[in-house]
Amino acid sequence: MTRISEVLVDPISRRYFVSNGFDGALTSVGIVVGAYLSGVPDGFTVVKIGVGAAVGLGTSGFWSVWEIEKAEKLAELYEIEESMLEDLDETRPHLKKREARRSNAFMSGLGPILAVLLTVSPFLFEGEPLGMLGATLVSVGVAVAVLFALGAYMGKLSRRAWYVAGARMGLAGVFVALINVLLPG
Amino acid sequence: MSTPPMRRLVLDVLKPHKPSMTAFASEIASVATVEAVNVALVETDDKVQNIKLTVEGDDVDTEDIESEVKGLGGSVHSVDEVAVGERIVEERPTPQER
Repeated sequence: MTRISEVLVDPISRRYFVSNGFDGALTSVGIVVGAYLSGVPDGFTVVKIGVGAAVGLGTSGFWSVWEIEKAEKLAELYEIEESMLEDLDETRPHLKKREARRSNAFMSGLGPILAVLLTVSPFLFEGEPLGMLGATLVSVGVAVAVLFALGAYMGKLSRRAWYVAGARMGLAGVFVALINVLLPG
Repeated sequence: MSTPPMRRLVLDVLKPHKPSMTAFASEIASVATVEAVNVALVETDDKVQNIKLTVEGDDVDTEDIESEVKGLGGSVHSVDEVAVGERIVEERPTPQER
């Protein structure tokens, strides 16, 4: 059984997690700002829309990476088999690649689910103590924080200033919120 | 009459880069009849490594070793040295080699 720490340090899983987490956070900024501007009357409706988006993005992340990595990893295995002049079916390299594909797909699906659920979670508190505007602003703040965390993590990995890398990613959340506000209608 | 015990086995093995040499050596060392292992790199290229695998034990099971090598993705190209009996007899230089 692969340990979680091994999954997190695997660069391919990490890339999928961050990339799809980024998609999830920005999609949910669009959802919450759009919901507020469209006059959705209660927070729970926004949460339900968010869960729908999480299911969609999570499934997309898992499914696409499952298929992509199956093809990529089999191609890698065939290249090794050609050099070895041996069939590597059910050997350690084959099993490791299969295990890695599962981790890649899992992390790819987990990224957007976490990002979306975290972002829409303030709407669970709509009514008391937050109003719709308050919940929207807190949600955007949570999304920016999630994006900042992803950026800071990447910055730390690449030995850059983590706060600059975090701010660059966080800025995308503010940008999407502003675009939504400025869109006509 | 029982078969004399296999004390040392040296194999020429071709393996993918993964598992690494250290992981490969550890896995071979975990075979029940193996007491100690040495893995030496002979040649490496883009996708595969050619290694010299030396295993020693009181009675090394050759089939278990070959099956473990195969399970790790490797293939045995040749058996390069075998020491069988009550003790290990080292290879000796002959006058022709001097």
